[in-house]
Amino acid sequence: MHEFSTTTQIVESILKEVKKHNAKRVDEVHLVIGKLTFLGLEQVKFAYEVLVKNTIMEGSKLYIEEKNGMVKCSKCGYEGDFKYEDDPMYHIPTPTLHCPKCGEVVKIVGGKECTIKSVKLAA
Amino acid sequence: MKEVVKTEEGEVFDIELEIDILKANEKLAKENKELLRNHGVQAIDIMGAIGSGKTSLIEKLVQKLKGQYRMAAFKGDLTTTIDAELIARHGVEVVPINTGKECHLDANLVRKALQRLDLDNFDLLFIENVGNLICPAEFPLGSEKRVVVISVTEGPYMVVKHPFIFMDADVVVINKVDLARAMEVDVKKLEADVKRIKPNARVAVTNCRSGEGIGEVVEALDL
Repeated sequence: MHEFSTTTQIVESILKEVKKHNAKRVDEVHLVIGKLTFLGLEQVKFAYEVLVKNTIMEGSKLYIEEKNGMVKCSKCGYEGDFKYEDDPMYHIPTPTLHCPKCGEVVKIVGGKECTIKSVKLAA
Repeated sequence: MKEVVKTEEGEVFDIELEIDILKANEKLAKENKELLRNHGVQAIDIMGAIGSGKTSLIEKLVQKLKGQYRMAAFKGDLTTTIDAELIARHGVEVVPINTGKECHLDANLVRKALQRLDLDNFDLLFIENVGNLICPAEFPLGSEKRVVVISVTEGPYMVVKHPFIFMDADVVVINKVDLARAMEVDVKKLEADVKRIKPNARVAVTNCRSGEGIGEVVEALDL
């Protein structure tokens, strides 16, 4: 939903790093995006291509690692992916906050990240 | 001493960054929460679709809770103070927040609004988000509880079509129950849809015109 503004922040942060390291080229950018964010990967990639044009980042390769949601159950100790509703009515599996093991209510502990993990720069 | 290691021209190097872009709002939200707690103010964030009855709910809540709490409200809208005035007529201090073009409130706007209030004069703050069932869920504001308002006039699939915002809801209000039959909407089914996604969400069924069910909302909010 807010891919353009979020990607703007991503590109700006990287450009700052580029300056700091006096790099002449950016080869790779690695992002981690959680499945619980409202960021569509397709739109992030599109915004990225638009935003890096005419910057030192133009031509860099964007890698996005998608990270699953993570929940924790305080009753049975389960830690892992969500229980999903796979009703054919939903075209994407809908996560629910039921523990997949014991059914208790779980807490979200991961999947909301949007991180610039690393960049590969050329001096 | 050995020779200084330098980066060669054209040499490629990796830099670990670990910069989380969404964390900036989260951090501000935490600061808002702390500020509010330090002044003994409980903040409740009201989210929901356009026209679902968020403002009417706040109006009915402030009428019901008058005398028990010293209340204030933030009213988020793209533009105008029409709804802010509706709340203000009940004698509540209102700070309108016009987002211009943004489809949600964020922690930074709330922080700015908080600076307009003398927080020691209040103990309950309603923050009405911009009408939207998608984006507000991504941006915590620093409230103690999040409420999602839906109404039967939006049809029977509001919950299943917008599952993510309900994961964030502590209380879900199903409004305009008086129109359920005319709309052919099964309120029980809507309630079950909420529970399927968020089993511990508390659900209240209301008619914010007449005030029906407002007591349930108060109870669900532990007020």
